[in-house]
Amino acid sequence: MAGRIWKLARNIAATVVGLAIVVMLLPTKARSQLGLDPCCAIISAGLSSISNLLSSAVAKPLGAIQQLEQQAANFEQQVVFPIAAINQARGLATQFQGQFTQMKQTFQLPVASATLPAPQQLEQTLLSRSPGSVPQVTTNYAALYGTVMPATDAPQPVRDLVDMTDAEAQAAMKKAVEIDSLADLELKAAEQINQQLATAAPGSAAILEAQASAWLVRANAYTQSAMAELVRVRSIELANRGAQLKFSTAHTTNLHSTGSQMVQGAH
Amino acid sequence: MKKYLQNLAAFAGKFQHTKHIFALVVISLCLLPGTARAAGLSDIITLLTTITSTIQNAIGGVLTGIQTLNNTVNNFRQQIIWPVNALNQTRGFITSTRAQYQGLMNQIHQIKNNSATLRNPTQLESLYRSALAGSIAQLEGSYTTVYSPVPLATDAKPIQRDLMDMDDALAMGSLKTAVLSDQTTSGMLGLADSIEQQSATASPGSGPMLATEAQIASLESQAYLTKVLASELRQEAAKLAHENTLLKQSAANTRNLENQIQQVLTHP
Repeated sequence: MAGRIWKLARNIAATVVGLAIVVMLLPTKARSQLGLDPCCAIISAGLSSISNLLSSAVAKPLGAIQQLEQQAANFEQQVVFPIAAINQARGLATQFQGQFTQMKQTFQLPVASATLPAPQQLEQTLLSRSPGSVPQVTTNYAALYGTVMPATDAPQPVRDLVDMTDAEAQAAMKKAVEIDSLADLELKAAEQINQQLATAAPGSAAILEAQASAWLVRANAYTQSAMAELVRVRSIELANRGAQLKFSTAHTTNLHSTGSQMVQGAH
Repeated sequence: MKKYLQNLAAFAGKFQHTKHIFALVVISLCLLPGTARAAGLSDIITLLTTITSTIQNAIGGVLTGIQTLNNTVNNFRQQIIWPVNALNQTRGFITSTRAQYQGLMNQIHQIKNNSATLRNPTQLESLYRSALAGSIAQLEGSYTTVYSPVPLATDAKPIQRDLMDMDDALAMGSLKTAVLSDQTTSGMLGLADSIEQQSATASPGSGPMLATEAQIASLESQAYLTKVLASELRQEAAKLAHENTLLKQSAANTRNLENQIQQVLTHP
């Protein structure tokens, strides 16, 4: 009996000691494996809140932005930069290229008509459209129109007038050769810009427009310089008429005084 | 853990009821947490709050701002810069302007200014007003018919013949240039019409391309204008040179006359 009691007591003691050890070994705060931890509920609520926020604060504005971007893209593609209109404009440039070439060929048809040697030479130089031939104008001009008369043949004022007139006439002829040549270069540039336009984009077309505008300003300037030369020619022409009237008046005065002297001498 | 189990087994082995002890130990172990908790509950709440706040304010606020900005830019483009109504109105304006002026301008441009009444001048005039490059070959013959050819060498002095020939050449040259210029003008008017026609269906994007085309055509036109001006310069210069040569001739004639009078007076 005592042995049984001792045995029972020993078993109880062993169990209590074991349990005590287990309890001692257990962490003070342990997360249970079974059942819901309060943390899980909080995390779940937090994640749910994040998900809702992503839907409302992120996805919704993003969707709206996408819609706006799509609308903007459609507007640009259909209203502002429709590809059909752009291609049509490019096609026009290609079509114009042919017409520009045709016009250039038309203006290159020969217009020379002189039949005698001296006029033929001068005319050839004048229609050469080559700046290199400008110095020949002086020689060809002198061969046809002559040079200033010798001092024995005319009074100095008349010689001055003749020289001035020759100078202006030659200058105008030289200017004609120069601007003819410049016009050819302008036509070449115009064709090149047009070729570029045939493959240009709406964005680069504005740059080409600026270039064409610059060329146009340049062409206007050259035309203006030719107009100035024309004004000079006409001014010299007018000056010559005035000078001839002045010479005529001087001759009349001389004749009158000579006549008076002769009449007085006769008496 | 292994050591712990060994110690426990050794301790249990001292007792006879090891099965009970083992069962107790296994249940206890099952109740042990697998891992220790790294952070506290307050940390988790703080983290979630931070994430929520970031999404709501930093990200959501910026996205809403971008949306508003995009909307404003779109509205500005569609209502201020390129309103479709204004674009269509402009296209309509081009069409109506073309209809209003083009026919009238063509009618004015096509008015015939021919005024000659006799046969030869009428023929010459019709040639140099033809605006057909092909007709310039006939112009020379017709010109000679009206203005006569250069006299023979027996009928005029060389300088006079040269002057006449040069005057004729430059006059004919200018008439031919005028014919070529007229033809080019017709071409240019055609180009202007094409550009205007296409403008009526253009978009803001293709508009600059058409404007560039117009500038190029304008440059071409300016170049031809320069060529016509060169022709006029040649003509005016020749006119001046002609008059000057007559003056030179007059001086030479006076000198000859003086020489002859002197000869007469010295040898009566």
